[in-house]
Amino acid sequence: MADIKQMDSIVVVTLAGELDNLEANRIRSTISSSIFTRKVSGIVWDLSRLGFMDSAGIGLILGRMRDLAPFNGETLILNPSPTMEKIFNFSGLGSNIRHGTVNSVIGEIGGVLHEK
Amino acid sequence: MRNEMTLSFVAIEENEALARMAMTCFITPLDPTLEEISEFKTIVSEAVTNAIIHGYESDGQSMVTIHALIDDNKVTMTVEDKGGGIFDVQQAMEPMFTTKPLMERSGMGFTIMESFSDKLSVESSIGNGTVVRFEKTFSPVTEASRMR
Repeated sequence: MADIKQMDSIVVVTLAGELDNLEANRIRSTISSSIFTRKVSGIVWDLSRLGFMDSAGIGLILGRMRDLAPFNGETLILNPSPTMEKIFNFSGLGSNIRHGTVNSVIGEIGGVLHEK
Repeated sequence: MRNEMTLSFVAIEENEALARMAMTCFITPLDPTLEEISEFKTIVSEAVTNAIIHGYESDGQSMVTIHALIDDNKVTMTVEDKGGGIFDVQQAMEPMFTTKPLMERSGMGFTIMESFSDKLSVESSIGNGTVVRFEKTFSPVTEASRMR
């Protein structure tokens, strides 16, 4: 299940339940269109409530990073479980991981924006 | 403890969750930690997804078979399909390699399976299918380490 919220120019995707191949295919287009229908400076994936994720989650997040690339959009991954964190590290996404609240992370993307 | 099971299901993506759930229940008597459970679940999910979408192109007819054995605290599991087979196993196991980039497959499946199991081997032949075999030993946890 994906809950998508827009906070200023940042899209916050809160995932719950199990993110596998089937679920990634279900939610991909909704998340993509939330990026393409407005001016987006970054995406925050809040995984606090996600119970399970396999490599389909990596495909989904890397795919949206490609969507955001033309706008130099930031990607942050919030509060993954220890197992998910390992999977992100294998995939080279370790530096995108943050632990904290959505608000603290949004400040970070905002800060990066102001510098530009 | 000794236990053994076989589970077969048709190649539809809905059965990835079935396989994860069934296999998690099967290893529960080994008293695994939460992290061991979630790593094992991920292994099952990756192997079964490969069989369904790569082996059988999600044809909804062919059968994927999981066989698992618990011997003391060691689990041996095979995930088998009689589908298309892997052209080059070594290449398939490289991180980020995928034959389905348009489906946003990350190519990380085998890397994850290797990292989260103690031993992994892959037998595959074109037109005959693929067998992925895993071994994982679960270390018994003491009450003290469980509290941490």
